Amino acid sequence: MEHAVHISGLEKIFMVPEREAGLVAATKSLVRRQSREVRAVDGISFDIAPGEVVGFLGPNGAGKTTTLKMLSGLLYPTGGEARILGHAPSKREKAFLRRITLVMGNRNQLQWDLPALDSYELNRAIYRIPRADFTPMRDDLIELLDVGDLVRKPVRQLSLGERMKVEIVGALLHRPQVLFLDEPTIGLDVTMQKRIRSFVATYNERHGATVLLTSHYMADVQALCKRVVVIHHGRILFDGPLTGLADQFAAYKTIGVALADGHVDLDRYGEVLHRDGDWVTLRVPKAETSQVTARLLSEQSVLDLRIEDTPIEDVIELVFAQARSE
Amino acid sequence: MALCDPALLGGGWVNALRLSWLYLRVGVMNELQYRVNFVVQIFQSAITLLVGLAVLALVYSHTDELNGWTQPELLCVLGIQILMGGVIRTYIQPNMTRVMEEVRLGTLDYALTKPEDAQLLASVREVRIWQVVDVISGAVVLGFGLSRIESGLSAVDAAAFAIALLFGAVMIYCFWLVIATGAFWVVNMWTAAELFDGVFQTGRWPVGIYPGWLRVSVTFLVPIAFAVTVPAEAATSRLEWQTLLLAAGFAVVLLAFTRWFWRFGLRNYTGASA
Repeated sequence: MEHAVHISGLEKIFMVPEREAGLVAATKSLVRRQSREVRAVDGISFDIAPGEVVGFLGPNGAGKTTTLKMLSGLLYPTGGEARILGHAPSKREKAFLRRITLVMGNRNQLQWDLPALDSYELNRAIYRIPRADFTPMRDDLIELLDVGDLVRKPVRQLSLGERMKVEIVGALLHRPQVLFLDEPTIGLDVTMQKRIRSFVATYNERHGATVLLTSHYMADVQALCKRVVVIHHGRILFDGPLTGLADQFAAYKTIGVALADGHVDLDRYGEVLHRDGDWVTLRVPKAETSQVTARLLSEQSVLDLRIEDTPIEDVIELVFAQARSE
Repeated sequence: MALCDPALLGGGWVNALRLSWLYLRVGVMNELQYRVNFVVQIFQSAITLLVGLAVLALVYSHTDELNGWTQPELLCVLGIQILMGGVIRTYIQPNMTRVMEEVRLGTLDYALTKPEDAQLLASVREVRIWQVVDVISGAVVLGFGLSRIESGLSAVDAAAFAIALLFGAVMIYCFWLVIATGAFWVVNMWTAAELFDGVFQTGRWPVGIYPGWLRVSVTFLVPIAFAVTVPAEAATSRLEWQTLLLAAGFAVVLLAFTRWFWRFGLRNYTGASA
């Protein structure tokens, strides 16, 4: 089967003007501009099958947004190839743009002073969606996101989370087959995040849409993506199942323990991550987990004890830390 | 070649009209919410008009003729300048300042991911409908000036006037688009945009009264002569066909150039990477 997204050796190099601080340097830069090459995306390759939901992870400045922008035709790649549903995004063909959507978490594209319904009509006309397709799709999306009352209010009166929901409706009216979601839940409260998460899952299921999602909230990724691609300094560090990420990078487990005497030094059991009253969190090598637990139970007066896998946030942190030290 | 672009020829025009109409409706809906703008606009237009008329009266209290233009003829120039200013502030300026603003904020990305010609979309999204007050007041002044010209307005003059006005508007659009496209490299293009308002005031007088360097500047650099003086020449039966031909040629060249420049700018556009 043809891939929905095919990327091979994709590159984006920016020339960034650069100068030392201070007036002298500023004056010099007027005459002679110094610039530096920044390899924002440095030869990445991966494929996404139709209907797959992939989490695209990386710290700030890793190249996620740059990649998404290249995939949605906003940036011309410096090198390599990208094909979305058989189209080269940089050509910005209308047939291509009609099949994708880009949602950016902190940006607004609906008419600010009008109810969202009016903006939807505008999108209907721009995407030339037949009325017979448009109305059921719109009503369906409105119901799924539970925004029936909100779409009749001027967008400026909506809260951040409400606005995001009506934005998403607007971005999906044309039934795109590939969704680029760039931090769709940023700044939203937990309930709202959950709502959007379950919505993306439902949309993916119903329409078989391919989704590439970036998010800082690992809960989003855990809920939606079986597969993650981790990018750092423009290069791919990991591409595989989310569970594999923990196996590969997290050589540790954490043991949370509550002691009768909270002041005991626990350094000899493992690395103390934090203390919260009597509750101490330790990090121990995976292989030693059971042995350390047994020692703790026999040597200390333990009130409560919990063994956990390294939280995915910490795994990601480990991945990046490892990448930095390399 | 840019001119053969389907967005500019044939079906493109129909689509352009369709999109303009769509956004016009949205623009009207938007502006109807701010009725106070309407009142403010009427007030501003009245002041513009009164100042213009007072200056004219002052000039003609000293002389009967200015560089071959009589007072009613200059009234026509003033009317066309106000009218064209209205067109610019209704359509051209709001769209182009929005492009500059969106380049700064990175939200232009949304326009670029729509299955429409980006230049077309960027040019029709905003309508400041209350500015139409200026278009109307300009038309009234023009009509009044024309009514006081003895020879009257022939059908040929009227047609030439309409064509010249259209070319003029196209050229002003091109000028603004070049400025807006500049925002792809120089994020702060506001100064250039603000400068335009001042320079446009020179259009109150036929460009013939200005010294050579200024005349050339407001003809080819900032095409105010084509936008105001040339239509005024048509309305006052003094337009030579060569001038109209020059206007047509220059409009086409500018349109082709801005199309190329916009695309060139777009290729360089990187957006405010989040």
